[in-house]
Parts: sequence; C-alpha cells; structure tokens
Amino acid sequence: MAAGPAPPGGCPSAQRPHLSKMERVVVSMQDPDQGVKMRSQRLLITVIPHAVAGSDIVEWLIQKYCISEEEALHLGTLLVRHGYLYPLRDPLSLLLQPDDTPYRFQTPYFWTSTQWPAAELDYAIYLAKKNIRKQGALVDHEKEHYNQLHRKISHTWDLVVMQAREQLRAAKQRRKGDRLVIACQEQTFWLVHRPPPGVPSVLEQGPERGSCTARPRTWISTGGRYVLGATGRGGLADPCAGHLTGLVSQIEYCRKALGRTRVKSSVCLEAYLKFSSQHGPHDPIMSGCLPSNPWIADSDTYWVVNAPSVAAPTKLRVDRWGFSFRELLEDPVGRAHFMEFLRKEFSAENLSFWEACEELRHGGQAQVPALVDAVYEQFLAPGAARWVNIDSHTMERTLEGLRRPHRYVLDDAQLHIYMLMKKDSYPRFLKSDMYRGLLAEAVVPPETKWRVFPFMRKPRRSSPSPALLASMEPAAAAGGPRGGDGEA
Amino acid sequence: MAREECKALLDALNKATACYHHLVLTVGSSADSQNLREELQKTRQKAQELAVAARAQLTAALRDRGLGAEERAEFERLWVAFSGCLDLLEADMRRALALGTAFPLHAPRRPLVHTGVTGGAAGIAARALSVRSLRHEAERDFDVNDLRELEREVLQVGEMIHDMEMKVNVPRWTVQARQAAGAELLSGAGASSVGGVSTEGRRRPCDLSKALAAAVFSAVLLVAVALAVCVAKLS
Repeated sequence: MAAGPAPPGGCPSAQRPHLSKMERVVVSMQDPDQGVKMRSQRLLITVIPHAVAGSDIVEWLIQKYCISEEEALHLGTLLVRHGYLYPLRDPLSLLLQPDDTPYRFQTPYFWTSTQWPAAELDYAIYLAKKNIRKQGALVDHEKEHYNQLHRKISHTWDLVVMQAREQLRAAKQRRKGDRLVIACQEQTFWLVHRPPPGVPSVLEQGPERGSCTARPRTWISTGGRYVLGATGRGGLADPCAGHLTGLVSQIEYCRKALGRTRVKSSVCLEAYLKFSSQHGPHDPIMSGCLPSNPWIADSDTYWVVNAPSVAAPTKLRVDRWGFSFRELLEDPVGRAHFMEFLRKEFSAENLSFWEACEELRHGGQAQVPALVDAVYEQFLAPGAARWVNIDSHTMERTLEGLRRPHRYVLDDAQLHIYMLMKKDSYPRFLKSDMYRGLLAEAVVPPETKWRVFPFMRKPRRSSPSPALLASMEPAAAAGGPRGGDGEA
Repeated sequence: MAREECKALLDALNKATACYHHLVLTVGSSADSQNLREELQKTRQKAQELAVAARAQLTAALRDRGLGAEERAEFERLWVAFSGCLDLLEADMRRALALGTAFPLHAPRRPLVHTGVTGGAAGIAARALSVRSLRHEAERDFDVNDLRELEREVLQVGEMIHDMEMKVNVPRWTVQARQAAGAELLSGAGASSVGGVSTEGRRRPCDLSKALAAAVFSAVLLVAVALAVCVAKLS
C-alpha cells in the first residue's frame, strides 16, 4: 500500500550501484583516525557537533583518492546532490563550496538507497508536519503537492493528520539540538526526492533503466561520462566476485552486437517502395480484378481463371514471373514452363535437383534417409545419371554431411544450384522466345458488364442446409438433374 | 463501547508507530547504541501487541453483519487508518533490520555516521510505552539476537497484514476521511511552537548572537551609569 515495503524492480542498490559507492565513501569519511576533520557548530546556546567544512571534504577526497581538485569538487557536489551531505547555512542550494561553509552527514535512515522509493504517505505526513510548524505558510510547490496528495489519498487523511501530530509530539522529547538536526535531515531528504521546480531531479532514470531486465547491464555515471559499473549486491557490502564476471559478459555482449548485420533504413524503405509500386497493379483490392470480383458479382470465374494449374495463364500472372526468380518458381505453371526451357538448354537436372531438395526439406521425417540416398545416387555421385555441377568446396561439405543425413544436409548444395539458376538460366529465360510467346498468348479475361438490375436478373441462391441435403439425396438420385435452380 | 475502545487502541498504536519512527531515524548514526536497540525492541513489541488487539476488535466489528450503515462507515474509516499505520510500522521495521545489519554494534568494523545527533532517546520510548521512565537492562551482545527476532517479527507483521486483507474486504476508495485538508492547523497548536523558533534561529546564528551580546552589554552599561548617577547624587 502506501508505505511500499518492497521497492519495484528489485534491490535498489543493484539497480543503482553509484549509490552504494557513495555510501562507501561516506562511511570511510567517518573513520576516527583517517576520516574528515569534524568541527562543532555553535548556535545561540546550543552546540551541535559533527559539522564539516567544504574545504576539508575536498582536501580529504584529494588525499584519499589521489584525484585533482576539480574532480574532488565534482565528487563532493554529487554527494551533496544525492543527499548524503547537506549544507547548514543555505539548505536549498545543494552544492559543495570549497570554503568553510559547514556541512553535515545525513543519517542512514534517510539515505537514498534505504528509502527507495519515497512513499506518498510519508511525503503527506512530512507536509502536514511542516504545515503545523509553519502555521500554514508552505512554499508554493509544496502547497500544490499538498493539495494533490489530499486528492489522491484522501481516504487515509485521518492517518496523515494523526501521525503528523504524534511525530511532532514525540520529537519534543528530544534535546533541542537533536530536534534541529533531525528537522534538517528530513528537509534535505525531501529536497532530494521531491525537488522544487527548476531543480533537476538526480533520481530520474530513463525508461530502459528502470525495468528489471536492465539489471545485468549496469552503467554508472561518474562526472557525466558513462563507465561500466559493477553489479553491486548489497547496499554497503563490497562486491568483488561479481565484478569480473559481470565485465566479461558485458564485453561478450558488445562484441556480438558489433558483429550483427544492419541494414540502413533508407535501403529498406526503398525496397519497400519498389515492391509496392511493382505489385500495385496486381493487387485485386487496389487495382480491381478481372473478370469480376467474386464476392460482388457472385461468380467464381476469377478463381477458375487463376487456378494453380491452368492451361492458359492470365497476363498479369505471366508478368509476375518476370519480377523475381522466386515468383517464377512458386507458380506451378511458371515452374513447368521453366522446366521446359531448361530441357531445351540441357540443364534441367538443376531444377530437378532443387525440387528434390525441397521435397527433402518439407517431407516426412521417416523418408529422410531414403530420400537422401536417392538424391545422392541420382545427382551427386560421380558418374550419376543427372549429375549437377557443384563446386568442389560445397561438394566436400555435402559429402561430409551425408554421413549423418538429416533434413537440411543438402542446404548448401541447394543454395548453390539456386543461385546458379537465378544468375544464369533465369535471365535467359526472360529474354527467350518462349517467354515472349507466353506473354503474347496470355489471356486477359474480359470484364463482365454490370447489369442494370443485377438483383432481378440473377436470383441469389442460398446454400441448402445440410439437413435438407441429407433428406433430399435419395430424392435427388431419383429425380435427376431436373431438381436444379433457375440459373441464367 | 466497541468504537471507543477501537479508537483508543488506534491512538495508542499511532503513538507507538510515531515513536518507533523517531527511534529508527537514528540507527546507524552517532546516537546508535545498545540502549537504542533495546528501546527499539520494547517499542515495537508494544506496537505489535496493540496491533493484534486492535485487529481482533476491528475484525470482529466489521464481520458483524448486523451493523448499521453509519457504524459500519465509522469502523471502515478506523480500519483504513489502522492498516495504513501497520504498513508504516512494517516499513520502518524493515528499514531498522536493514540498517541494523549494515551497522553492527558488536564488532565495530564499520564506524557509525556522525550526524550530530548525540542525545539519548529514552524519553521517546517511555512515551510510546506510556510509562514515566525506562530502565535499560540489556546485556552486551543484545543487538545480535535482537536482529534475529526483528526478522521474525517483520515476517509476522507481514503475515498479519496479508491476513487482514484476506479476511476483511474494505474498499479503500469508498472511505471518507473525517479530516479535511489543513485540519492539522486547527487544533494541535501546542506542537507549533516546536519548530517556529528552531528554523528561524538557524538562519542567522552569528548576527543574533552578536545582537544579543550587544543588547546585554548596553543594558549592563545603562544600569552601571544609572547607579553611578544615583551614587553621585546621594553623596
């Protein structure tokens, strides 16, 4: 519900390893011998310890990590912007000033990784507390958030008010100094998690970063550059073992990604346009169909004329054979004519071999060994009846594979023969007299004339129901063809 | 009456949760100690007792079919507040477990974070338990066993919440809260004086101390001058 015990997308530190790194830096700063020098902050009468100056932090970072001053300053600013340090004088400006402006460390409860994600109910309680303390004088964006939250979770508003009051009363039990510090801590936390308008939120991540699937590949941003990061496990533990394997798998992934073939979208789109313009006139919906659309004119002449095996192919069909070799081979009539052409050229065994390979690929599993043997005997064996011309390299590979025959063992050879036909025989076929003759002979079915009153002339016949058919059968057998329908 | 009892239990639970929240805030910081862990344990045990009692009462009331519509609405309102409170408690307990494991006290390989909070929180725990003061009786390695217990209790509370959801079906969007936006400003004015001085006072610490010193000095000077004048006049 509102408090959100389980953060979405897995452990937050695994998602954001930069947080665990920052925490380690902060914890090493606390070392009593080698940590940062602590001062005390003196207010009116209260003295609050554990304040650090900005310059001290920068110095410590330079010394510990052997980095330049600029980088130390940037690192310190990252710590402040993520809420691990907060300035005491001007709480709204989350920057690290390298002079003696005092800062203090955030308590681990309010660290970003502990509280991820910040719940709405908590924010509502915080705003209610602030409302009580400031007697209703909230900042503009806080007022907006307050009203928004009231609309969203109005059913738990009782709880919000009760908790706000009780938390303030419980806080009164502390010393004044502690109270001040805790109030500052909470304010800093909410400045980081609900930043005022105009301040960029450090906790935003893109949509691909937030998903669970993005976990194995983590990138951390240090100083605006992205470097490969370790996939850290716990929040404050030291992951050494997972680091190396993570990096190795990252490298493998990048290498594979580089090797993938990519087609430029301009090339793809050109091919698509070409296909559309070429096939446009052949599409029955775009360019109408001859003789007539069966669904409208209620006659199946169109299907009859364009049946797979028909004696006289239509002109459109013959045109399509010229588009690509694949179209020619897929059309049975086209394939038959091509086979005839090849016979004249004395290279029909290529097409037969190709057909036999297709049969092997798409046939039954039980016939595979027998078929492979038959193909070998007929086409590939030295001195075979219909020997096909394959180059030696492919032949070697095929013969190797034939020892353990499977469905796709002749793929290489088939592809070789296919390319041979496509480059050699197919262009000659298109230029041949045979093809030109076919083009000239091709039928163009005439378009049926539209009758003026189509409904009157041609009575619609509904298909007889199966029940009637069953009872009508003996009667039909006796009646003969007389029991027909009036047909024009 | 059942409603008053439920309300009292809910108020007590609310108080215990708020106190627990305040105690968990300082785990891992410079104020962390065995005493704090003991206070945490006592507070959360008290909160759990209250939660169990409240749940029993509320479940009994809501499962009673012969309840009037108004009474039912009232109980549903209490139920929503109760389950929200329990969610807050569970979240805080989880965080306490995570932080307690990350910042162990028994073998301090890791230094605690210096946050500036140094005082004890015995008063808060005493408030939660509604006693006058708290005695600390923990042994040395209290937090080790405590963490194991805490883990078990977190699971228990989780189960309790799940049980609650299964047994009683209260659609949250139909519940109308009694408090409107800004209701916290109407009463509870006693809490307003807490922060009013504190947040302003931090803004200008140097100027204010100097001004105060100057005022005190000038007052003393005036008094001295007046006395001298009187002495001079009398003599």
